[in-house]
Order: sequence, then structure tokens, then C-alpha cells
Amino acid sequence: MLTVLLVDDDPEFSEVACTIIEFLGHEVLTACNLAEAREWLTKETFDHVLLDFMLPDGSGAHLFEELNELPKQPRITLITGHPSVKSIIKGLCGPNIDYLVKPIQREDIEAVLSTKKKPSPTPEPKIKKHFGHLIGESASMAELYKLISRVSRTKANVMLLGESGAGKEVVAAAIHAASQSDGPYIATNCGAFSKELIGSELFGHEKGAFTGAVGKKEGVFEQAEGGTLFLDEITEMPIDMQPNLLRVLENKVVIRLGGTKTIPVNCRVVSATNRKMEEIAESKVLREDIYFRLAVFPITIPPLRERREDIALLATYFVDEFNKDNGTHFKWEESQLDTLTAYDWPGNVRELRHFVHRAGIMSDPESSEIELPKTIESPFAKKQSTTSSLAAGRTIEDVEKELIYATLEKVNGNKTLAAEMLGISTKTLYNRLHAYGDLSKDDS
Amino acid sequence: MNEDELADIAKWVHDARKPLNRISMQAEMVKMALNGEIPIEKATLALDKIIHSTKDCSQTLTHMMEAIGGSSAE
Repeated sequence: MLTVLLVDDDPEFSEVACTIIEFLGHEVLTACNLAEAREWLTKETFDHVLLDFMLPDGSGAHLFEELNELPKQPRITLITGHPSVKSIIKGLCGPNIDYLVKPIQREDIEAVLSTKKKPSPTPEPKIKKHFGHLIGESASMAELYKLISRVSRTKANVMLLGESGAGKEVVAAAIHAASQSDGPYIATNCGAFSKELIGSELFGHEKGAFTGAVGKKEGVFEQAEGGTLFLDEITEMPIDMQPNLLRVLENKVVIRLGGTKTIPVNCRVVSATNRKMEEIAESKVLREDIYFRLAVFPITIPPLRERREDIALLATYFVDEFNKDNGTHFKWEESQLDTLTAYDWPGNVRELRHFVHRAGIMSDPESSEIELPKTIESPFAKKQSTTSSLAAGRTIEDVEKELIYATLEKVNGNKTLAAEMLGISTKTLYNRLHAYGDLSKDDS
Repeated sequence: MNEDELADIAKWVHDARKPLNRISMQAEMVKMALNGEIPIEKATLALDKIIHSTKDCSQTLTHMMEAIGGSSAE
């Protein structure tokens, strides 16, 4: 129960307001001017003062100073019947002062007197999301932001290159956001469709175009009209479908499967691959003409280990997200963040996110402490070492093993290339991997 | 319209708002009475006050029209 002082010069308003306040379970005293209010303040202690802005002997605001000097400062709600002075009153408001504009409803009184603490305004997220999507303040990310900002002002197609888990789709969404285009952001994975279906996915189909085509369908190029089309794993697209894609990129029109009508399309194409540029050229997974159409502006996304200063930031962001979703209040300790930062994260940001979620699930939800596993292990990481590779006391066999895995990682698991780099035969490489128990018989 | 006229109108609007604000509060009383939160007799009293306030408001508007145009507000 609160003790409320209502200061208003309209007796009829005061009478009804008192009925409502009392009904809400509070005690209320009234004053019809500043003088009466001052008198009450010397006699009683109030939790809340409802104060008319314009009173016969002055403005309610004149009482602020006196209220502030009280040993127990009441909350203040200014009341005005003049919507025109709302902006002035707003200016007077602070953490302890709010306002109501007449006509007032019961719910308004209920809300201002509510003893429940108002939900504190969501604190500004400490972690900045660049272009609404990207987290990181490292130099390499700053460079990436510069590139995104530049390319977003143009209509150029962008090819994103980067390791798996580095955040290619997030960068694509950031480019879309930075472009401020009117159209939507449509994402599709070229590696996820069979040769038969990818044509329909990209270009759409007419009714009856093939068995099962019971209705017509817009392809992603049409769906992304005026916006951004993200083609993930572009290098996994069947090579014999690529001429069709080239035609769309060159002519900016699509013809739905089974159709004859040309449909103009207008969208930025952001494609992505986890292969390196040299590999794309060598392995011929992408036709050269398509590459140049798609990679008008290639952007390489740095792997997480090349922007270690962002690891703590990302880990904090992921734990905050986990807390929000699960009602927990986990916090990192400095030493834990140091451990995370020292690690290489071969699965990049995706691996870090999964790791944080896993750690969150494994920890006691009642505690704020996150329990980290003794070693950071993941399918990507089990052969990774966070210690310096060439320290005295290690065996040659150990170092050789590490070198082999480092080389394999460098060439994205291509064993022929790795063997060549290591100066050993492919057979020897396979033998070593067998010995490490890292190959099934089928692989050899 | 000059500043004086504008000030006059502002005063009339203020005077008209007062009964409107009262009507709003009395309507809350009626709602509370209908919900059984206060005695039902209070609703009758509140409705009487609402009727009274509408007359006040109407009168204020009539005075305003007379003051600014000399014509009737009817």
C-alpha cells in the first residue's frame, strides 16, 4: 500500500481520483493548491505525489525542490489538462518523475502507482552489431566493414570467400542491410538441391513443367526482386547447370522451367564458397565466365583465429543470447575468455557459438559461473593444439603429426595437395593418417 | 487570427476541456460501479455529474462562439 498525495484544484477530479486510488488499495490525501500540499509534506511522508502542473498559486513544478529535499523522496507524477504543455512536462521528467495528460483513465492511475518496478529499459547492447548483423572490432573486421559499406552503394555482385563457419551468410545479410534496398533478402544453398531441383529453385517452374510440378513456382531470382539473393555454396552447383545461371546473370531475365516467357529480374547476387580463390580456378568447380560475373567484388572473410581480439566479444554476445533465451545469468571470467582466445577455432564463429551453447547447457542454471570443459574439443578441433608447436620436449612424431594436420587444414583436407606440400607421397600421408586412427578403410 | 484572439480561444478550449476531463473520470466511476467494485448508487451519481458536465461543456462552447463570432453555437 502506498501513501499518495493528490494535488489538484478540480474537486470533482480529485474526488473520483481518490475513489480509484483507494479502490486500488492505497491511502490518499488531497490538496487543492501548493500551500496545502506544502502543509501536508511537513506532516506526512508520501510514497507518491500526483501533482497538477497548473495550480491556482503556481506550477506543480515549484514543489520539485521541496520534494527533492525530503528525507524520503516520493515518486512524482505530473498531471496536466493541457496537451500543449506535454513537451514541457516531458522535459521535466526524469527517473523519478513521469506525467499523465488528462483525460485520465483508471488504468493510467493504476500504471503510475504500480508498485511493480517498471521493466528497466533494455540496456543498450554493449556489443555493437555492425550493419545490424556483424560483431567484431578487430582491424580485419574494420576492413571488412569498409568493403561492405563501399559495395553496398553499388549494385555489384559480391562473392564471399571464407572458411566454413566464418559467417558468410551473416555478411551477406549485412550487405543486404547496408544496401537499404526495397526488395527482400532471399538465401538459398546451391549445394542442398539435386541437379533436377536446382533449376526449379533458382528459376522457378510453370505448372506441369515436370512430374510433381502441380503449380507454378517463382524461383529465388524472382523472389529476390529489388533485393539481394544469397547463393551459398555456389561452387557445389552442378557444372552443367551453370550455363543457365550465366544466362540469367548476363541477360537479367529468367525463363521458368517449362515456360517460354522471359521474366526480368533485378537483384544483387551475393554468392559464397568455402573454397579459396586459387582452388576455384584449379579445380574447375565454377566456370570462369560465371566466376567473373559473380565475383565482381570478391570479399574474403577472415577466419576467427585471425581476429582473436573478437573472440571475447563474440563469446560474451553468445552467452548473453543464451541467458536471454534460457533465463540464466552466466558470466565469463577473464581467465575463461583468455582460454577461448588462445584457441584456434578451426570451425570459426559457428564452432565458438556451439561451444558456448554447449557450455551453457552443461552449467548449473542457478549459478552465474559457466563450466568450461577441461579441453576444447570438437570434430573440427580434435587435432588442434593451442600450445606453441615447437617447444622442446616434444617428440618428432608429435610435431610431424601436427604438421600434417596443419597442412591438411590449409588445403581444406585435399590429401594430394597436402602430400605435395609436405614433400611425401600420398600413400605415405594415408599411412600416417591410418596410424593416427583418422581414416576409415573406405577413405584410403 | 491575431495573438489576442488565439489566447482567447486557448482559454475557451481550456474551459471546455475541464468538463470533458470530468466526464472521463465519472465514466470510470460508472465502469467501477457496473463491475461491482463500488456501490451501484455511485453510478447514478456519476451519470448525473456526466450530464451536468456535458451542459457545462456545451455552455462554454456557446460562449466561445458568441465571443469570437457573435453567432450562436447551436
